[in-house]
Amino acid sequence: MSATKPTRSAGRPGGLTQTTGTRVFAVFNTIFLVVLCVVTLYPFITVLAQSFSSPGAINAGQVNFWPVGFNVDTYDAMLSNETFWRNYGNSVLYTVVGTLIAMVLTTTYAFVLSKPHLKGRKALIGIAVFTMFFNGGLVPNYVLISSLGMKNTIWAIVLPGAISVFNLLVMKSFFESLPKELEEAAQIDGLGWYGIFTRITLPLSKAVIATMVLFYSVAYWNDWFAAFLYLDKSELFPVTLFLRNLIAGASTTASEGAAAAGTTTALVSANIQAVTMILTVIPILCVYPFVQRYFVSGIMLGSVKG
Amino acid sequence: MSDVFRRPQMRATRRGVLGYSIAASSALALAACSDDGNGGEVDLEAQSKGAMEDYTADSQFTATEPFTLSLLWTEWPDLPITDTWQFFTEIENRTKVKLEITTIPFSDATEKRSLLISAGDAPTVIPLVYTGEENSFVSSGALLPISDYVEHMPHFQKYVEEWDLGGMIDNLKQADGKYYMLPGLQEVSVPVFTLIIRKDVFETVGGGIPQTWDEMREALVKIKAEYPDSMPLADGFEAWSLLNYASHAWGARAGWGFGDGMVDDGSGKLEYTAVTEGYKQMVEYFRGLVADGLLDTESLTAANDGSGGGSVAEKFANELVFAASGSSGTAIEFAQALNATVGEGNYEVLQIAPPGGPAGMVCEPRNFWNGFMLNAEVAESEHFLATLQFLDWIYYNPEARELLRWGILDQTYTKDASGKITLKPEYSLNAYNINPGAPTDIQEDLGWSNSVFADSTESRALKESYNTPTFVEYIDSVLSSRTPRDPYPPAPLNEMELEQASLLATPLKDTVDTNTLRFIMGERDIAEWDDYVAELEAQGLQQYVDLINTARTRFEEENS
Repeated sequence: MSATKPTRSAGRPGGLTQTTGTRVFAVFNTIFLVVLCVVTLYPFITVLAQSFSSPGAINAGQVNFWPVGFNVDTYDAMLSNETFWRNYGNSVLYTVVGTLIAMVLTTTYAFVLSKPHLKGRKALIGIAVFTMFFNGGLVPNYVLISSLGMKNTIWAIVLPGAISVFNLLVMKSFFESLPKELEEAAQIDGLGWYGIFTRITLPLSKAVIATMVLFYSVAYWNDWFAAFLYLDKSELFPVTLFLRNLIAGASTTASEGAAAAGTTTALVSANIQAVTMILTVIPILCVYPFVQRYFVSGIMLGSVKG
Repeated sequence: MSDVFRRPQMRATRRGVLGYSIAASSALALAACSDDGNGGEVDLEAQSKGAMEDYTADSQFTATEPFTLSLLWTEWPDLPITDTWQFFTEIENRTKVKLEITTIPFSDATEKRSLLISAGDAPTVIPLVYTGEENSFVSSGALLPISDYVEHMPHFQKYVEEWDLGGMIDNLKQADGKYYMLPGLQEVSVPVFTLIIRKDVFETVGGGIPQTWDEMREALVKIKAEYPDSMPLADGFEAWSLLNYASHAWGARAGWGFGDGMVDDGSGKLEYTAVTEGYKQMVEYFRGLVADGLLDTESLTAANDGSGGGSVAEKFANELVFAASGSSGTAIEFAQALNATVGEGNYEVLQIAPPGGPAGMVCEPRNFWNGFMLNAEVAESEHFLATLQFLDWIYYNPEARELLRWGILDQTYTKDASGKITLKPEYSLNAYNINPGAPTDIQEDLGWSNSVFADSTESRALKESYNTPTFVEYIDSVLSSRTPRDPYPPAPLNEMELEQASLLATPLKDTVDTNTLRFIMGERDIAEWDDYVAELEAQGLQQYVDLINTARTRFEEENS
């Protein structure tokens, strides 16, 4: 990291005296970015405010930035909801295990692909890239997972998406950009390929690894579709499926007019939806700040080469 | 980089072809398996393990040996399923049938159901099926042609006959003359959604409760004169509910009830409702209401929050709207909103029978409610007969229906000599606001009154037992003063026709939906009606009508 610093400051045009144009640009730029920031944050803030408001105030459309009719009962109820926590725990498990498996598979696959002397390398790349453009389709995939006996197990969630080809290619490019001389030096000092991978390549790739961890963990955390397809027991569902049932379930009821038949299909209040959303995004919000500093450099380093 | 992408991709394509062939052949194998199950000989003698020999109507089904039955369970977000529900233990006690549950979330229930059926992985019993939903699976052979076996279902036959539903059951037949689902039977059926009105205002200002749409218009004019700021009629469902129950008065089909869009033209053929004179008159009627400021256009375009309440409830409370579409639940919502503004006791809210019109004092055709389909593989099960008997009992036996709604007699509820059902004070049924606050809820805690089973088949008495007195009054008013329309003549399509029809029907319906609203809102001149019809014709209207009519004729010939 330290090597890049002087280059950056030297290249900065604002290091010289600022012209009026630059200042005007800076002002407009700031205004623009602040507006953009507000626009981006507004929905989040509204949901946050809704989660602390009374259902009546939400239905009347009174809640924007601040909670109206302050209420924490729903948080209380949701925090003591067993299903929610069980599903929450499942999400954590699926995310951690999934990310771990994905990282092992992606880094090792990318490492071999980054070696030009590997026989059949292009075929291996082709196999991966092929899956970016074509897939078996929903039903064949389902039949496959089902006949492999993975239904209703964690493996149905974590294995099918364990190698993201996009991430794989980014990582491959990153590994290719590492100086070959390091590897040669390591070989001369007696390291085998496993040693080179674990003791030279991986320690040099922290930025890209952090980025990929972020990508994978967000993807696993947000994923509801695999769980929807392959899990038949609500105690195995991740929290995102719980949330989806809560939100989409309400609107499906609405559109079909089925709400009428029995009040058992009672609509889930906007307040409960808001509380669940807030509780569900918290973990990801917590991960972001820690990984973010690697984020930009990681993705750039990978993509420039190639 | 481009080289890396290009060449290997071509090589891999060959592998892909192989992969595809494997996938395709396994799909074929799967379909073949299902076909075997469907077309193979069924020997009920040999497949009667657990079945009762003397099972007849009004008898309790108890399997002669216990067995397990797999079942698809839709989980509503507000009613998480619990293994320990009394519902499961009691059903097992009485019938010796253990239900094995596959849970699917309500949000995407139909998609998951399709996937399970297509993949040949569906549980034996697939509940919560509404008529018509089975159509797309029939040709795959994945479903049991249940009509072949109804002779073993005495309760079903008894109530079809007693409640005069035979003709409607015939209408369930597919192109092959068989039906693949059994519906929930309703002794009486009334429209769920109609108009909710401010009874006091209609009586004092509007000149009474309107029985026809003309009377409705007169009443709305009077109310508008008294409350100039108001737009007295509204619909919180983007007009789809209003058009649904109103269309029958003009002999048309619209809104939620549009369906395939076909109605009887009086000569035994079918015609497309959206180009009929009746449909046009209906559109003109509502267009007139909009022009005179009697219909709240804002509610027609506002996003649908699902309850029909929301902003309409607010307007109802603030006396800007006096009649709006809704169900009995909406009526309660309106009442709650009015309590806050007008004050309890100063108003009366009433759900009224749908007004009549040029087509007479009619309402929607009698309906079935949700029923079930069976996975075709059940025909190979040694418990096949017992499964049929169990489903016959649970879906159609009156005692079973009461059990599913109220729980165990004398434990959760009591029944007096006149048949009146009362929930015991220590139990509540919050979903219907019965005994609120009691420690145990028979739905949430015990699993009774769940939507998967409890809503399906209902006698009139059972329906009245849990609904509010005002809803019971509403049922009376509809049954005494309105005639249900005849069922729409069935025209079951074969596989090829089904595909063609769906290609044609979707753009047609889009055009109808958009232009119906534009005409009503006054955004399009009604003088352009012929242009609108021409637009539909350009989209293949005639081809669609011919397709349906061919199917209709074939069906008539085969079933005459």
